[in-house]
Amino acid sequence: MREIVVIGGGASGLAVALETKKRGRDVLLIEREEDLGGILNQCIHNGFGLEVFEEEYTGPEYANKYIEEFLKLDIDYHLNTTVLKIEKTNNYFEITMSSKARGIEKIKAKAVVISTGSYERSRGSIIMPGERPYGVITAGSAQRYLNIDGYMVGKRVFILGSGDIGLIMARRMFLEGAKVLGVAEIMPYSNGLTRNIVQCLDDFDIPLYLSHTVTDVKSGESNRLESIVIQKVDENFNPIENTAKVFEVDTLLLSIGLIPDIALLDNLEVVVDSLTKSAKINQAYETSVRGLFICGNSLQVHDLVDNVTLESIRAGKCVSDYLEKKLEKNNESIDIIPGKNVGYVTPQVLDFSWSPKELIISFRGKKKMEKTKIKVFQNNELVFEKFKQFIVPAEMETIKLDYSKLNKFDELGISLEEL
Amino acid sequence: MFDYIVIGAGIVGSTIARELSRYQVKVKVLDKENDVANVQTLANSAIIHSGHNPDPDSLKAKLCVWGNKLYEKMEEELSIPLLKSGAYVVAHNKTEEEKLAELYETAKINKVPEFYYLDSQEAKKQEPNISKNVTKVLSLPTTKVTYPWEVAFACMENAIMNGVSLQKNALVTKIIPNNEYFEIEVNGKQIFKTKNIINAAGVACDDIAGMVEKEVPYKVHGRKGEYFVLDKRVKGFVNHVLYPLPSDKGKGVLITPQFHGNILIGPTSEYVDDKFNVSTSFEGLDYVKTHAKELAENIPFNDIIRSFAGIRSSIESGDFYIEESKEFKGFYHVAGIDSPGLTSAPAIALYLLKEVIKIDKKQKINKDFNPIIRKQREFHSLSKEKQIELLKEDARYGNIICKCEKITEKEVIDAINGELGSDTIKGIKKRIRVGAGLCQGGYCEEKVMRLISREKNISPLDVKYDDKASKLFVGETKVNKL
Ligand SMILES: Cc1cc2nc3c(=O)[nH]c(=O)nc-3n(C[C@H](O)[C@H](O)[C@H](O)COP(=O)(O)OP(=O)(O)OC[C@H]3O[C@@H](n4cnc5c(N)ncnc54)[C@H](O)[C@@H]3O)c2cc1C
Repeated sequence: MREIVVIGGGASGLAVALETKKRGRDVLLIEREEDLGGILNQCIHNGFGLEVFEEEYTGPEYANKYIEEFLKLDIDYHLNTTVLKIEKTNNYFEITMSSKARGIEKIKAKAVVISTGSYERSRGSIIMPGERPYGVITAGSAQRYLNIDGYMVGKRVFILGSGDIGLIMARRMFLEGAKVLGVAEIMPYSNGLTRNIVQCLDDFDIPLYLSHTVTDVKSGESNRLESIVIQKVDENFNPIENTAKVFEVDTLLLSIGLIPDIALLDNLEVVVDSLTKSAKINQAYETSVRGLFICGNSLQVHDLVDNVTLESIRAGKCVSDYLEKKLEKNNESIDIIPGKNVGYVTPQVLDFSWSPKELIISFRGKKKMEKTKIKVFQNNELVFEKFKQFIVPAEMETIKLDYSKLNKFDELGISLEEL
Repeated sequence: MFDYIVIGAGIVGSTIARELSRYQVKVKVLDKENDVANVQTLANSAIIHSGHNPDPDSLKAKLCVWGNKLYEKMEEELSIPLLKSGAYVVAHNKTEEEKLAELYETAKINKVPEFYYLDSQEAKKQEPNISKNVTKVLSLPTTKVTYPWEVAFACMENAIMNGVSLQKNALVTKIIPNNEYFEIEVNGKQIFKTKNIINAAGVACDDIAGMVEKEVPYKVHGRKGEYFVLDKRVKGFVNHVLYPLPSDKGKGVLITPQFHGNILIGPTSEYVDDKFNVSTSFEGLDYVKTHAKELAENIPFNDIIRSFAGIRSSIESGDFYIEESKEFKGFYHVAGIDSPGLTSAPAIALYLLKEVIKIDKKQKINKDFNPIIRKQREFHSLSKEKQIELLKEDARYGNIICKCEKITEKEVIDAINGELGSDTIKGIKKRIRVGAGLCQGGYCEEKVMRLISREKNISPLDVKYDDKASKLFVGETKVNKL
């Protein structure tokens, strides 16, 4: 029986494993790829670590800082190993995993941490009309082909969605000699970080078409993409007539969002939040199943890896507390609800059996706002308030509040108000 | 000189090839695509209909009911996937119930082996998500669901085992009838001679016929059908195929549970000008959503993982046209094979050989014919004991390549190197569902690319998605080139 099994060896899983190990816990990390580091390995651009290290690193450099420490601490891990199933019995979890080296095996653990990251939304999850030629691929896949395998997926490229991966790929493909004809975003604002808009599009004169989407995909005689049509959309996202623009491209990269990968939770009775598309958690990153924790991009999609690390360290601390039986016998809990202008919130539950009295709440605004007050209410009473100059949906907000003062009955609501 | 050349390697060409291989004849199958089952057979509802719908006395009625029965035999012989779901045709009011009664009569005349009414209460008990407004249901227990291209693969593989040859990427460009034989020109250069031609070219059957006949007795009016696919995590949302009442637009928008747990919603039915263009549209997919809601409550549209369209090879008569050319003996039309063509395919093959060609009078039986293919099902659907046994034989069963569908390295390698193997991303996906899950290949396509490159000993630059125009990469990066 292991104390903790961490699933996923990306930024989140590494941080959890390090934190729990440092606290003297027994931990095993399982990673399906042949290297630790996760998605950071293919993010060879700069911009990681400003928050944690106050210095800029590339993705692999950032990952390496943690991998080195991980190896130094001699933490147990399996590479090339895919977890197939997690089952829960009364007191422990049973994890089924598969690898070439060891076949299919089962291990038991007292606590499990899901750090499985996210997957990219593909063409199928949005309604994109047209034909289905080759050449419509997710930006992350193209990034992997480019940065890990060393191959270019296209010469003339258009990008749908202004998520950060799309923006980074616009620059990357441009620098590799591709023609990048533009980026279309269905929302009236970009979904990427402002610095990426400037550094990846503006600096290379790549046009950004806000309130536009792809309304046709065409192949010619062959099975390769030949052209796409974009159109402006109205407030209800319906295409507006006579706004069509045609682009002759061989590649359409999709950067239309990430979805937490929680496939492993399918046969556990975990309560899922339709807003985050992941498990609901309490302030200790614990799902509705006792002893099952989740953090990183498999909990909520982050825009900065630094926040993943910080969040996962906190989760690691909570898992350790859980094993040290620091929980109080207390069944009281209240819900935390996204209110006006708030897209989602984590944690969704405040569970009073958990001790540290500090509550860290992450959320995203639903729209771009200026001069905003972040307000937290309980039973119509303002319990927290903070001023924020700008709110953009692309950037996750985090607030800290002391919850020893909260009552244990009424739900907490978070809202954003423009002044 | 060939005895028979079959043009088209869809489900119809494949079942015909297999039936021909029971005789001592030299057979070749030609298809313009880079894989078997790449056109109509790739994009349909996958339903093995009971035969309750076609007009009595039509060829469709006869071959559909017969074909349905033959699928059970194919399941035994060829290990094809077959979900014995049964189907419900639903009525919402008195007028519809009258139409349901007409269907009931049709089913009787067509000799559907089993069918009966259910009241709304019983239907709701069996299918809790069925629409609240349903008043009566016609239950069709012999309706099944298959995995169409796997059926075509199994038939073609079995045909190849028994001596048939298959040529892919072979576009028939010209046919020259001579007195005793035909010459078929492929890709504008290669010539094959054959005594007989079987035209099983699906939506292109009139184009092929036009290469021979002065007057083609039919014209294909492509009829498009658009669909949504829901992820297999919705498995069990419905367990029967749900049909609305048929209209002049065909069988209507259906909800169909698939063999692997996905749910298919569609199709539309719209005549199109370009019978080769399988594009989807906002309007089409909207239509599907709206009409599906008449069949079931709370459809989990959030779990859509894909949309697609297929084109039916419909002709004016509305029936199958399976006849020898009046003028050019030895040229056989297998035309107008739209729905229920998948169901009917094994019966079409038998009908063509026995009743149209009258092959038993002409050809000797191939005594060595072996009808059996034993195909192992997905590794992760096997029993624990079997998995352990296989793992001992080959450790590559331990390496998961597609995590959504749980497909292993060994299975990918078999799909590449098998008798009817494929060296394309799409071909591997069709064979073993790598990339057919939630992430739609985002995670595993690269791994499959590397395995194809390794097994076929080709550069990643030469790995294709499907045909030769769809290479994955256009070049190396600057760093790689150094
Ligand atoms: C939307 C839709 C839903 C359907 N649903 C069902 C259902 O649920 N149940 C059912 O029983 N049936 C259904 N059908 C019907 C069924 O799919 C078809 O009847 C069946 O697949 C036809 O098979 P085929 O072999 O005739 O055609 P295809 O699969 O189209 O095969 C024809 C082949 O001919 C080849 N070809 C064409 N021209 C040339 C050339 N010049 N040279 C070489 N090769 C050539 C093509 O490449 C192709 O591979 C549906 C059809 C559609 C479109």
